[in-house]
Amino acid sequence: MAFDPTDEETTETSSAGPRLSRRGFLKQAGAIGAATALAPLGLGDQPAEAAEDRDDSKSAVQSGKINLTLNVNKKVRKVTVEPRTTLLATLRDHMKPPLTGTKIVCDRGQCGACTVVLDGHTVYSCMILAADAVGKPITTVEGLAPDTEHLTPVQAAFIEHDALQCGFCTPGFVMSVTSLLAHNPNPTEADVRQACSGNVCRCGTYPKVFEAALDAAKKMKLGRNA
Amino acid sequence: MKAFELAHPTTVAEASRQMAGSSHDINSPRLMGGGQDLLGMMKDYLYTPDRVIDLKRIDGLRGASYNSKSGLKIGALTTITQIAEHKDIQAHFPVLANAALSVASLQIRNVGTVGGNLCQRPRCWYFRNEHIMCLKKGGDRCYAAPENAENKYHAIFGGGPCHIVHPSDLAPALMSLGSVVHVTSSRGGDRAIPIDAFYTLPSQGSIYQETVLKPDEVVTHVTVPVTPVARRSVYIKFREKESFDWSLVSVAMAVDVDGGLVKDCRIVLGGVAQIPWRIPAAEAALKGKSLSNAAVVEAAAQAATKGAVPLSQNGYKVALTQALVRRAAGILAAGKQMASDTGGAEEWIA
Amino acid sequence: MADMPAPAAAPATPGKHKIKVPKVVNGFETMVEIEVDDAAGPSWGDRSQMTVLNKRIPRVDGAQKVTGQARYTHDVRLPGMLYGRILPSPYAAAKVTSIDTRAAEAIPGVVVVIDYGNKTLKYQGDPVAAVAAETMEAAEDGIRAIKVTYEPGQHLVDPESAIKDGAPKIYPEGNIRASQKRGDEAAIDQELAGCAAVVEGEFRTPFQHHSSLETHGIVVDYTGGDTATVYASTQSTFSIPGDAAGALGLQASNVVAIVEHMGGGFGSKFGIDLPGNVACALSKKSKRPVHLMLTRADEFLMAGNRSASLVRAKLGASKDGKLVAIKAEQHRLGGLGEGSQRGLPYIYKVPHVFRTMDSIHTNIDSSRAMRGPGSPQASFPIESLLDDLAVKLDIDPIEIRKINTDSETYHRQMDIAAAKVGWATGRNKLPGEGQTGPLKRGMGLGLAEWGGGGGPACQVTVKISPDGGVTVSVGSQDLGTGTRTYTAGIVAEEFGLPITAVTAFIGDSRLGNANGSGGSTTAASLAPAVKDAAYNARVALFQRIAPAMGVKSEALAASNGKIVTDTGKSVTFKQACAMLGTTAVDAKGEWKPGLSDNGVHGVHLAHVEVDTQTGRVKVLQLVGVQDCGLPLNRLTIESQLNGGMLQGMGYGLTEGKVTDRTTGLMLNNNFEEYKLPGCKEVPECIPIIDDADTRGVIGLAEPGTIPTAGAIANAIYNACGVRVRNLPITPDKILDGLAALKGAKGAV
Repeated sequence: MAFDPTDEETTETSSAGPRLSRRGFLKQAGAIGAATALAPLGLGDQPAEAAEDRDDSKSAVQSGKINLTLNVNKKVRKVTVEPRTTLLATLRDHMKPPLTGTKIVCDRGQCGACTVVLDGHTVYSCMILAADAVGKPITTVEGLAPDTEHLTPVQAAFIEHDALQCGFCTPGFVMSVTSLLAHNPNPTEADVRQACSGNVCRCGTYPKVFEAALDAAKKMKLGRNA
Repeated sequence: MKAFELAHPTTVAEASRQMAGSSHDINSPRLMGGGQDLLGMMKDYLYTPDRVIDLKRIDGLRGASYNSKSGLKIGALTTITQIAEHKDIQAHFPVLANAALSVASLQIRNVGTVGGNLCQRPRCWYFRNEHIMCLKKGGDRCYAAPENAENKYHAIFGGGPCHIVHPSDLAPALMSLGSVVHVTSSRGGDRAIPIDAFYTLPSQGSIYQETVLKPDEVVTHVTVPVTPVARRSVYIKFREKESFDWSLVSVAMAVDVDGGLVKDCRIVLGGVAQIPWRIPAAEAALKGKSLSNAAVVEAAAQAATKGAVPLSQNGYKVALTQALVRRAAGILAAGKQMASDTGGAEEWIA
Repeated sequence: MADMPAPAAAPATPGKHKIKVPKVVNGFETMVEIEVDDAAGPSWGDRSQMTVLNKRIPRVDGAQKVTGQARYTHDVRLPGMLYGRILPSPYAAAKVTSIDTRAAEAIPGVVVVIDYGNKTLKYQGDPVAAVAAETMEAAEDGIRAIKVTYEPGQHLVDPESAIKDGAPKIYPEGNIRASQKRGDEAAIDQELAGCAAVVEGEFRTPFQHHSSLETHGIVVDYTGGDTATVYASTQSTFSIPGDAAGALGLQASNVVAIVEHMGGGFGSKFGIDLPGNVACALSKKSKRPVHLMLTRADEFLMAGNRSASLVRAKLGASKDGKLVAIKAEQHRLGGLGEGSQRGLPYIYKVPHVFRTMDSIHTNIDSSRAMRGPGSPQASFPIESLLDDLAVKLDIDPIEIRKINTDSETYHRQMDIAAAKVGWATGRNKLPGEGQTGPLKRGMGLGLAEWGGGGGPACQVTVKISPDGGVTVSVGSQDLGTGTRTYTAGIVAEEFGLPITAVTAFIGDSRLGNANGSGGSTTAASLAPAVKDAAYNARVALFQRIAPAMGVKSEALAASNGKIVTDTGKSVTFKQACAMLGTTAVDAKGEWKPGLSDNGVHGVHLAHVEVDTQTGRVKVLQLVGVQDCGLPLNRLTIESQLNGGMLQGMGYGLTEGKVTDRTTGLMLNNNFEEYKLPGCKEVPECIPIIDDADTRGVIGLAEPGTIPTAGAIANAIYNACGVRVRNLPITPDKILDGLAALKGAKGAV
């Protein structure tokens, strides 16, 4: 069963109450998949089951299973995790549907594949506890473009310049470059290298990542001046 | 990581109280700032705290403020990025801005805090290995000491018996500025600890820690006085892997030059000892002399490594230390500060 | 329809005829006369006329990757899925005397625990037990709760210890195996004695880790019953079903393998491997899908490596630079595995050779194939020795290589590389000659060779639907190598369509067979088969629509999105497909000779700057010239060449497994201390496709990483006179080398 990252069960903050995407509706109606019939992913039989309506986001002490409210890609998402659950694990394993664009590679904050933007800055999501991400806007690679027909200039540049090979480091680099350009629209190649020094690629895309970043910066400047 | 309880005190006093029972025990409660070291220690099961005490909901610990009279006050939860980008720090304490920019990677700098950076644990790969019970963790020997050990990254000073190097970049920089670490305890009150006295050698304090902090003490802020050596100062961090690495050797050098002669200077090395390593002998070699005098600088470089006792694989650190001392002196002699964080000769700014 | 020119004359040769087709010339569509030969079967045709291939084609799966939509094995989520974890041996050598899994079984969320049954542990990482649990956290809790008592043994983790008298035997035959000898030692000693110049050295290379960003593992979708689907991070779709079936006790034909995307292999991922076997065992026991992807720490311990090497060699030449004799003692250091190493003198012509070769075993995870297995370990010593000889004889290093290789291709490639970076002025006659200041620049080079040929293995299907949709399907895999893209591109080229008009389906064992991506054989095996299928589809399409177009099928051609007749009729591709009625064209293709070739060369040239005060080696430029026959996609080839150079650079300057002798443990099983090149290490990479090679398709993934370390070592020597013979060349080695030089000078 393929999970479509645009297929969400979310609770929008609109006053109209929870809004489901069309796919979400069909899914619930049993037309596609059967997730509703099974135990929720990521939860086992834990002794201290979190009451569904409790929000532990602001609790002074968090333990056992905790309900957190996160702001992911401009949407309010509720998750049930543990204090030890990282933001990365939350995104990949504890959301419905999971956001697997952000990758797990080293889980130690040494390679950048898990880079997301948290409160306007790039961070290693594997080195952030989900509990510490509450109240801060989180942007993952899924949150950059609405669909593959409307890629951001950075994403388009990555494709044009072949700044990707196996693609496993790509979301992390896309986030780092996107964030760089948001902070500094006129980077030099040295600036790009500096900003991406916390991202590792084994296939060797670096030279093309630099090209793509500079090209995207150029195009974005033109776009603004147009 | 082992499952834990995550507490979010809203005052330093409360955090301190919660740390009252802490010790070197593997299950002891731990303080968390940015968590960039703590989480790594926990993922590798070097710490398995039952309770983690997060400091981030405590007001008043963030931000750096500068005043031309009292100097700099940096809250313990100020991020490394905030230090690196702080205009007053760049202008008045360049060694500190350099050092901050050289830390780890952008993603770490955006989250890591000053307090965490100063209090971080060593990177020694014997220490960081769960299966190796080294001296620092309560074992009976230092695994870096033997002739056939892998000790290229370890200390050339300090006298052992543990041969870690202190990994902080901010510490040597702050030490070169005569900074003070302010801590508080709900039981013991406040302490203002000059950073020169903040770190302990293995032979001095408890082998289980690198600082003089008591179990329930919390670092609240760091102050940096207005000091004439700050204005002309530089931090050079030489790494094996320039992109993202710990220092092989680093040098923080701060000088007050008056009439072409060094009136005062402070030189502190990183990557060579269990603590940030102040080198008074090198400072003495420069005092009263000109930084542009090659023989003087050479004397300082030689003095910097006097007394070094390399291990089997790290003898190169002697030559490297001397090279970086010369280079730092050269940069400051030219009246320039290094914009980049590399150990190379490029990227100077006026 | 517009007025069309008069019909072409009748063909002079059967099958061969001329036809006017629309082509884009200077941005405008123009009718151009071409010659087609329908009897000839599939052929690439004139490269210069290609519209899709031999150009820089952005990847067709790029959008999926940059948006995070690409689903890798690590990303697969299934209802009821469990997470698996392995408990690896914490000792390099030990016996398991007891194992108690009860506490682990009692952990909330843990579903199954398996005692792997491995009682004699031979390397750190050797699996002891495994757990499957509802969450990753519970799985970790589970393995940590397994109580094992170990009886540590005496481990051997370096070759010197392994060959010592009295060392424990890792294998019954001892720790030295697979010994070979070639040549007559006394005769070679005599030849060397008569040489004008002789150089020698002891060379060491470390274990290099593939470090694929996606670790090894699978997701096995099995819930009891007769069938299973396995998602695998693999280089070989078809290596999966049989393995998994064996582990699950199923028929291979009932197991499907899926590899939509995979995060890097570099030679390490074939079959379900250890993690796959464990996952299947967990799935079989629990009757639930299991996701088992190694943690990074475990990846370094149990996912293989490039074998290390110890080589002692002596090389002699005559005054004119011609190599005369070589004496080499070569040791493959593959841990528990045999390791691999090409025999010296590697690619150079040396008439008198004495060589011994063996494997020295240690308690380290077995080596396995890694990009150009055995070649970098041979390239490094020979390229270093050759440059040492060049200096001794005062012959230019390019010249000496020309003297000792026959192939014009090498000569041409060396000249190309040299011209690109100004070798004539950039390479010093003597190290660092004429340069003042602490920064010294120098240049060096190295050569490669590889096979890269292909053969019959792939079964490709091309479908043309009445609605104009074109698909190509084959079970092959894309490692980031661009397979999906050139597969679509070949079909697009055949039909005169843009690549966006073709959809490629790969990575599924239900599709046509394909070979694994090893030995750089994918392109040379797959591309001809895709071409054949596309050709057959085109011929079938033409036969089907010819009547409606009012011509014989031989009178049709496809170009620039149109199907035209030699009578001047023209329809769009979509209109042509509509003439198919309700039945699609479904054509098969397989490998045909004449479309691929075998045997490539390669030259790497490094331009470095050594900071003689700090030991920093900064690579300024890396040139990689590579022949590869027909370049299917120049853009992805450039990327492959860059990638190979950067892996070679890592091997030369920053990477290497570090194992502690006392504890037997790997000290750098993480990306902090296993140092992959990062942004600031990257030089100006200059990949150059050797277009003089007009052969068919040949693979190129591996040659592009073989000679880099040797080239860099030579450049370093050229810069500062320090000859480092053990990799990686880190600053400490430069500083030690400079000190030794100074000491040597001072001793005079």
